[in-house]
Amino acid sequence: MTLMNFIYGFLVLIGAFVFQTTLTGINRKITARIQKRRGPKFYQQFIDIFKALSKSSITHGWVYDFGAIMALGGIAATVIFIPVAGFQAFPGLDNVFVISYVLAVGMLGMAMSAAGSGNPWASIGVSRALTNMLAYDIPLMVVVFTLIFINKSGSVADLALLQQGSGVFGWNFIKLPLGGIVAVVALFGMLGKKPFDSFIAPAEIASGPMVEYGGKQLGMMFILHELMTFIEVSLILNMFFGGGETLVIYLIKYALLYTFTNIVSQVMPRFKIDQAVLFFFRVPLGMALLQGILVIFLGWGY
Amino acid sequence: MSQEIKKDDRKLWEVVGDYFRANSIWMKWYCTGCGAIEMPPTMTSRFDMEQLGMGPMATPRQADVLLITGYLSTKTLRRVIYSYEQMQDPKYIVGFGSCTLNGGIYYDSYATINQLDKYLPVDLYIAGCMPRPEAIMNSFGELIEMIKRGEAKGWKHYQENYDWYKENQMYSLGEVMIHDEFHE
Amino acid sequence: MITVIALLVASALISYLLTKKWPTAGAFFTILASLGALVGLYLLKDSTGTIETFGYLNFKMTTIGWYFAMVLGTVYFTSAFFNPDWMDQMLYPSAYNAFYVLSFAGTIGLFFAQDLITLFVCFETAVWSSTFIVLQGKSRRAAWIYFVVSSIGSMATLFAVILAGQTTGTFDIAAAFGLLASDPLVAGVVFFTFVIGGLTKIGIFPFHIWLPLAHGSAPHTFSPVLSGGLVKLGAYLVFLAAAYIPMNSIFSNWIFVLNKPLPVYILMALGAVSIVVGTLRAIQQDDAKKLLAYSSVANGGYILIGILMMDQMAFAGGLMHLLNHAVASAAAFLAIAVVAKRTGTTKMTELGGMIHRMPVTYIVYLIAIISMAGIPPMGGFVSKWMIFQGLSDKGFIFLAMASAFGSIGSYLYVFRPLSAVFLGQLSPRHEELKEANPLMLISMVILTLMSLGLGVFPNMVLTTIAKIQTSIGLTPIMTDGFKTMTANGSVNMFEVFVVFGYGFVLMLILFLVLPKSRRVGLMDTYTSAEFIYTPELLHYSSNFYAPFERLYAKWPSVLPWFTRASTKLKELGEWTESFFFSQSPTRGVMWLVVIAILAMVGGSL
Repeated sequence: MTLMNFIYGFLVLIGAFVFQTTLTGINRKITARIQKRRGPKFYQQFIDIFKALSKSSITHGWVYDFGAIMALGGIAATVIFIPVAGFQAFPGLDNVFVISYVLAVGMLGMAMSAAGSGNPWASIGVSRALTNMLAYDIPLMVVVFTLIFINKSGSVADLALLQQGSGVFGWNFIKLPLGGIVAVVALFGMLGKKPFDSFIAPAEIASGPMVEYGGKQLGMMFILHELMTFIEVSLILNMFFGGGETLVIYLIKYALLYTFTNIVSQVMPRFKIDQAVLFFFRVPLGMALLQGILVIFLGWGY
Repeated sequence: MSQEIKKDDRKLWEVVGDYFRANSIWMKWYCTGCGAIEMPPTMTSRFDMEQLGMGPMATPRQADVLLITGYLSTKTLRRVIYSYEQMQDPKYIVGFGSCTLNGGIYYDSYATINQLDKYLPVDLYIAGCMPRPEAIMNSFGELIEMIKRGEAKGWKHYQENYDWYKENQMYSLGEVMIHDEFHE
Repeated sequence: MITVIALLVASALISYLLTKKWPTAGAFFTILASLGALVGLYLLKDSTGTIETFGYLNFKMTTIGWYFAMVLGTVYFTSAFFNPDWMDQMLYPSAYNAFYVLSFAGTIGLFFAQDLITLFVCFETAVWSSTFIVLQGKSRRAAWIYFVVSSIGSMATLFAVILAGQTTGTFDIAAAFGLLASDPLVAGVVFFTFVIGGLTKIGIFPFHIWLPLAHGSAPHTFSPVLSGGLVKLGAYLVFLAAAYIPMNSIFSNWIFVLNKPLPVYILMALGAVSIVVGTLRAIQQDDAKKLLAYSSVANGGYILIGILMMDQMAFAGGLMHLLNHAVASAAAFLAIAVVAKRTGTTKMTELGGMIHRMPVTYIVYLIAIISMAGIPPMGGFVSKWMIFQGLSDKGFIFLAMASAFGSIGSYLYVFRPLSAVFLGQLSPRHEELKEANPLMLISMVILTLMSLGLGVFPNMVLTTIAKIQTSIGLTPIMTDGFKTMTANGSVNMFEVFVVFGYGFVLMLILFLVLPKSRRVGLMDTYTSAEFIYTPELLHYSSNFYAPFERLYAKWPSVLPWFTRASTKLKELGEWTESFFFSQSPTRGVMWLVVIAILAMVGGSL
């Protein structure tokens, strides 16, 4: 742990933010094209974030601010842990459980801040988001357990490295097809893309946890959302699509995966929260367990 | 518009801020009356509001523009004022259709107000009954220019002349005795 | 050891007499007594292997016993700080204080017991004295159920103790359990009956029914001890059975699931079921204390799985989770106790916005639940991480799934009190509340710092656990500086903490650079422009997870089953009784005749 680690970490943070925000902007354009519109400028997302940061703001008490800072801090730390094309700012901190649980610090912080605003809609949104998380995380975790069992390593960088070298056929997505599909479906849940976006539902619960945010807190929540997207897509990319040998390949793969989820989500309706839970516990969880049994008890797939 | 360069009293960061604000306008639609029906075509593929960086938002906390799309009865006016005061500075109001301008076809109703800018600082009116999406898009372009030049200062005007606005509001709305949640 | 135990027993008597005269002084004496015992225990840390005898009771100092005793000592010591403020609410304050100290003595005796008889005597001391404390709570029925379930466990343990002693001819734990291997059938019976004693105490499904009742209705100051401390007695019994009875050889004729004999796997599956059931039921609760009690059920499942794994990683994780859960659960119960003290209720629907009146209590609760949910940088993360690593390394996919469910599900139930009790709108009824008094704050802050310390420097504890593992012949957990090593990779919790701090500081700078926010009231929130004047109506606390709860609202519960069983048992008793005790003279004459005939015939038989 030297000063260089911290500087690298900061660069990863800035890089992740700039890349993902640009990608979000491009995807807003793609969404518009799907809907036969022209769409905004590709850097619109930056303008939106900086505008929100430039406005005046309100606070509902210290926990409202503290939660927002804790959320963003936790998420920033998680971004620093993510191995990008084999590069890690802090080597050895890329255990998949560490990443997914430091991510939870961010989520808890956001939930705390939202509930601290005293708005019931925020609490409803948080309760929906947590239920949603319970739904998508269990199937994903089962697949991750299977992955660790096969590879005997919990490190995300190692998992990515082990898939490289034999082209597409080395990817866990191909080697464990059922698990791979589960992971991609879970990615939709993680990103809050349709059909699993009922916790944000602007027309229904006034954008849920975001209801009270305005000004700089809203801008911070947008930054948080971009960074969280980066973490989630990177996790799935590293674990199932072989990460990237070089940065360019990594970013191309990343952009394709993210754009894919965005395009698919555009033609989806919205699940109610209990429908989402039932869906995840019936189809993906069944597939994940089947994959696990095939691998562990029958020795298939590796 | 005159060609001479106006003396701009904004600081640099305010100019930069106004650039961002002009290019990213989030709206809170207060959909009263019939005006709301003109918004979907403005949003969707034919006119596509998003190409100007505009979009709808769920709550006043997140919004920059309060768009009032029709007549306002005194009962709704109270809610509009409440919503406006929950918005974050800088904030703008766009009055939509002739109802907000002069009462429109409801000009002689006992229950509606005729002139919105007596109660809230309107930055831009869109005339018409109803204004078509072309007119809406045109006026949004004008709003963007106004924000860029730093001329949309209704929110400052409201702060500075708060007493005057309050007096007008009180005159029309009257003081309310509160009994409980359901009975004012 | 005997000195510590004897001093505690004496202190129980002294605090009884002292409380009779001056209640507060007696309560302060319990703090002093438990502190003394804790210090005494700590000083014993290097005297492993000493044997001491007192009458028929034999004690032996072991590392595992010391570890358990320290965990319990911490919980007893910190909870004792709350006693002085509750003296006026107790029915029998003197009995409360005496039994508080006496149950502590019993637990320490249990952990240091060398033979099974001593073990059983101390176990009963702890159970009985805690029963009398639970009785002083809200409900007699809860204490009654606690006692009945504990009795089932005690009877099973007693049976195991006597059977083991009779078969092997010795009562020494290690010797007796080791000798059992020669007779697999008896060993199997001893294993199960002994473990049942442990399961009832941990609150493993289906014996978990007593936990929410007893924890929910026990005096607020004793719930932390019940959940953080006494539950761990069961874990110790399970540990003894698993460590000293050679499981793999006595069950060698059974099917092996992933190198675990089926009976042991079934026990672990019961742990997994407890995790799932505890989580689901905790999500449903409206009473904050019952919610935490169900979370103890879920965490008991982790501990059980960890201990039964008997390997390098998951076992260490299970033992460490025991400490983490004790600390976190005690802190959470104490925070709720403060709220209960100030407001007089633990129902979440009646509370809200406590953070504006008791911020420190809020922070304590927050850190406790972060640890309980297993989020870094708190202690709970490290232990859950090790259990996950152990399970996935061996391929226990179903157990791992249950653990993941309990872990993610815990976000749901721990957030509920956070949101409903501490955050949200403050009711005008609670406008005048005060923060906890300094005495309470001290103990809560100690526990909070411990949670944090365990998370950032887990190796402090893991070195002790490595010693325990060596002493029972397992591969010890590897540590290297700040690094915790497992077969599937290592983690450096200190670095995680530093990076988290780094992220936090960066964002704090961003936050401070931007324009300052204007403070608005809690009621100034977006309500679709509707005017609302009643804070309670703007507070969302009931039916919090309604869409999710709906999915399993109609699932059967085991409590009605137990109630029905007890009704049937009672009817059977009445039916039997009716043969012997009746007002009718014919019945009497009948029995006289039967006895007379038996007396006449009996001689010739």
